[in-house]
Amino acid sequence: MQQTTQPTPAAQPAKPKPPEPPPEFQEGDIATMDAAALIRILDDAHATEFQKAKACQRIGELGPKEAVPALSALLDNDHLSVYARYGLEPIADPSADQALRSALPKLKGNQLIGVINSIGKRGDAKAAPMLAKMIFGPDPEVARAALAALGRIGGESSVVTLKAAIPKTQGRTRMAAADAALMCAERLLADGKRDEALALYASLSAPDIPQAARLGAMSAIVREETSIGRPR
Amino acid sequence: MLNMITRRRMLQSAVAPMIVPSVVLGQRAGAIAPSDQIVFGGIGIGARGAHDLSKLLNYREARFVAICDVRNERREEIKSTVDQKYGNHDCQMYDDQYALLARKDIDAVLIATGDRWHTPLAIIAAQHGKDVYCEKPCSMSIEESWALADAFRRYNRIYQAGCQRRNGANFELCKELLKSGALGKLQTLYANVGPSVNWPPIPSRDWLAAEELPPKQVLDWDRWLGPAPWRPYHSSYVRGGWRNFYDFHGGGILEWGSHTVDLCQWAAEFDDTQPVEYEPVGTNTGPYQVLCRYANGVKLVMRDDGWDAALKTGSCSFRIDGDLGWVQTGDATRIESSENIKPLLRPTESASLALVNHVGDLLRAIKTRQSPKASAAAAANSHVVCHAAFIAYQRGKKLTWDPEKREFTNDEIANRMRSRAMREPWRV
Repeated sequence: MQQTTQPTPAAQPAKPKPPEPPPEFQEGDIATMDAAALIRILDDAHATEFQKAKACQRIGELGPKEAVPALSALLDNDHLSVYARYGLEPIADPSADQALRSALPKLKGNQLIGVINSIGKRGDAKAAPMLAKMIFGPDPEVARAALAALGRIGGESSVVTLKAAIPKTQGRTRMAAADAALMCAERLLADGKRDEALALYASLSAPDIPQAARLGAMSAIVREETSIGRPR
Repeated sequence: MLNMITRRRMLQSAVAPMIVPSVVLGQRAGAIAPSDQIVFGGIGIGARGAHDLSKLLNYREARFVAICDVRNERREEIKSTVDQKYGNHDCQMYDDQYALLARKDIDAVLIATGDRWHTPLAIIAAQHGKDVYCEKPCSMSIEESWALADAFRRYNRIYQAGCQRRNGANFELCKELLKSGALGKLQTLYANVGPSVNWPPIPSRDWLAAEELPPKQVLDWDRWLGPAPWRPYHSSYVRGGWRNFYDFHGGGILEWGSHTVDLCQWAAEFDDTQPVEYEPVGTNTGPYQVLCRYANGVKLVMRDDGWDAALKTGSCSFRIDGDLGWVQTGDATRIESSENIKPLLRPTESASLALVNHVGDLLRAIKTRQSPKASAAAAANSHVVCHAAFIAYQRGKKLTWDPEKREFTNDEIANRMRSRAMREPWRV
């Protein structure tokens, strides 16, 4: 039978070679080093920025708790702070949480925001009181990061903090508070706390809630109340 | 107070009816009032995004009004294209996505930045109440994939992934043949993941040598990097050479699997799950495969056969094998099949029309608030499959995966690779 057919593309030739990385920016042996060797790179004052960056990323895959002190020492480094968090975020040991919490009072600006983001990602509930204090601080970006982290941590105290923050904030910071509260409501639903979730969604349907979050909350109520799985 | 409900309010409402009658939308024969058009902005429109935009501009239901880019020349190029199309000077330029997203007149955004920005920008757009068309790959990690789907459910916004082949007639016919039972019981799905000569499965973790930074008004390197880990500037990255570098890219499996694995998931109606096994076969330089298996026994084979393989079905080809027959198609439009299926084949429109149809699907979804074919949830699932295969390839071992728990069950290192840290201040 006749089919509409486009010309078959010719076999793809290899693309032109991209620039070659210089030797000092090639990962090389770092890719296969064990944790002890990687930590030695981080502790070595003569190791380059590139070597430390790659060592952090590899440590993030191996997850050794022994690397926490060396990684923590890089959290205030302009270029390497993200790599330090690359290493810290996946380490399951509680010492990584402790290190991130300890860094909070020592940092500011983007480096502080990065650490807050990592705390939120790890869901470290012990950090919640410190984060709550940052909501009304002088840096709105830090405040928004703290709100987002509280949303990820969830729990009753986060809900109380976020509900209280919404009327006291404005603009994008209020959006962040409402977004975090929506996350908490989702968590409540997932945990089977339907009544608490619906109550939170209802409070997020109020006129002072930023429109996108308000409509999200209203949608969740409709979705939940019309679900075939709802209690009847 | 019914007369206080505007069309825009209704479209933005999370509780809008599932199907909005055209009379409510103001569509009348041959004429679309400006107030009834879906207003778009764009963020990071390069070569691929310009292709998307060219299709969007041909729909009278859409109006494009603003461009945001970290590169001055890109902003001006897109403004020039749009203004020329509309015969005015109205397209506004921004270097800050928040300024564009704050515009209340904008309903939806087209995101076609580098991959590293896709998920965070899409989520920020949803938080601002915008619907989104986002180029593929949609995410940089398993964690980002779930965050994307969660955000669009949370905000009840429309998200369309740039997986346009879901709206390609030849691909749809293959899906139809499976669904009709003509192919019998599904056995194996094949996803072409591109030639490894250009798209190795494992990208480089090296850096290029530092070059002198251009002035910030020409290129904002900090914003260009965005959530990707810091590295020194090199012009090659900005010219498109960021691909095949791990910090910016998920390798060949994600680059092309985001199309073809996505097609397999869609055709088999597996949009809400993932395979439970991933076994890498091959090297980083030669032909390679990742052999996957779903919990119900169906196999998924990601394979590097060059684009054409033996059947000459073109780039982004995929194949469905049932116990009664098989079909394969790709960007060459033609469908190859087992003999018993040939009488069931019919001419289809060109595969090149998939993107036109895809944009149409997006506009329909925005108007009706019904899900497009390449929704955030579907994209999240197919991207998780690609990320899991990518991780298996990096680990060089067979990995087992629990779709319910969203974790690997036999390798803790693989579990730690489900996420990538984002450069401050970005997060998902």
